[in-house]
Amino acid sequence: MASESSERTFQEYLEHHLQNLVYGRLPEGHERKFYAKGKTDEEKTAYCQDDKSMNYDGDKYCKETLTEDGWYLANNKSDLEAMGFWAFNIDTLFFSLLLGSIFLFFFINAAKSFSLEKPTKLQLFVEMMIDFVNSVVKGTFKAGQNTLVAPMALTIFVWVLLMNLMDLVPVDLIPYPAEEIGIPFLKVVPTTDLNLTAALALSVFILYLFFSIKNKGFIGFIKSITLHPFGPWMLPANLFVEVIDMLAKPLSLALRLYGNLYAGEMIFLLIAGMVMINFEALTIAGVGLNLAGITLSLIWAIFHILIVVLQAFIFMMLTVVYMNMAHEKFEQH
Amino acid sequence: MNLNGTLLGQMIAFGLFIWFCWKFVWPPLLAAMEERANKIEQGLKDSEDSAKKIIEAEEQSKKMIAEAKSEAKKVLSNAKDQSEKIVEDSKTKATEEKNRIVASAQAEIDKEVVNAKKSLEKDFATNVMSAAKKIVGKEISETNHGDTIQKSLDDFRK
Repeated sequence: MASESSERTFQEYLEHHLQNLVYGRLPEGHERKFYAKGKTDEEKTAYCQDDKSMNYDGDKYCKETLTEDGWYLANNKSDLEAMGFWAFNIDTLFFSLLLGSIFLFFFINAAKSFSLEKPTKLQLFVEMMIDFVNSVVKGTFKAGQNTLVAPMALTIFVWVLLMNLMDLVPVDLIPYPAEEIGIPFLKVVPTTDLNLTAALALSVFILYLFFSIKNKGFIGFIKSITLHPFGPWMLPANLFVEVIDMLAKPLSLALRLYGNLYAGEMIFLLIAGMVMINFEALTIAGVGLNLAGITLSLIWAIFHILIVVLQAFIFMMLTVVYMNMAHEKFEQH
Repeated sequence: MNLNGTLLGQMIAFGLFIWFCWKFVWPPLLAAMEERANKIEQGLKDSEDSAKKIIEAEEQSKKMIAEAKSEAKKVLSNAKDQSEKIVEDSKTKATEEKNRIVASAQAEIDKEVVNAKKSLEKDFATNVMSAAKKIVGKEISETNHGDTIQKSLDDFRK
């Protein structure tokens, strides 16, 4: 269902869908360029001047060289590179905050209107979630007492689950209308953005370090990464192993969620590429391809429900496990 | 796919969400759920207790009924015994009374008979004497004929 199929190749379609809506600072002297719409040179020139107030370069693009620094939406790779670290993925932030707010709204609502005798269906659902997370935390987090772990696990599970579920929204349903109203890029699944998964993993890692040092003491923490697993006479080896082990935690946490969701989204896009909505050019083979695409999309969506829930659960579970490790007392081996 | 400022934004957002959940979602919900769990537990326990109590009360009442029954039986048999005894007593009393009355009557009769005999004797002697006087026509005195009279009285007594 390649939008603007007349102009975009399949590869461009993919790239377009995998590009975040990035808002960042472009330096003076940077050249912005846009794909010029239109068939003839006249049309393209008119498009560039009227819509973008830029010049047509006579080939494919409208171009503009910035005369001063400013904040812009990135339009291509060179924009992104020029923006560097200080850029923000508006779509990721928007959808993640929206979904997180939905989560908090419903749960706080349920907490406020909690009824012992006459629970609403929403309340029952909320209770079910709480009960589920509570049983997981009780079963896994045994090394210490920490009231933060369970709420954190709940937040992670529900929030990540909601964000993952965005993957089941048909790939063009939101980006295509958004493009029509002038939003050039839109990724609706926040967990397919490494920034988000890395942020979660990093936050968990920071809490892990914090609670480790808090519970073991700084000395105890140092001991736990230097005197393990081989004993004091192999200190460098211990340190090496433990540091790698420690760094692997946030890295694997971030990349696992990101990789699974990104791959899932990619497969949806590939399947979507089989389907076209250009009915005039439709042949028998085209109809067959469309039907196959729709069927595959359905099958993958059903299978993906499993991945979506599983990844949310794994992220939560590992967070609880790490928190448990942070609360374990250091043992001399 | 580069990391950028979004990372920091997301970390802040994540922190805020956790904080909200930690403060306003988890504790009230868990407390309420635990309260209900306790209530249910208490309710089940109470109903179990009351069921036990009902059984106990039933047993108690059965026992009480049985006791009352045996008591009633005892009272009944006692009353029977009592009444039998009373009847027996009155029977013997009546018999004794009767015997006594009969005996006294007999004694009376005997006494009467003796009296009657005595008066008869006396009357008879006088009569006989007057009759004999008349027949004999002469005075018969005790001094003269006492022995003879005595003799005939003796004979009469025999």
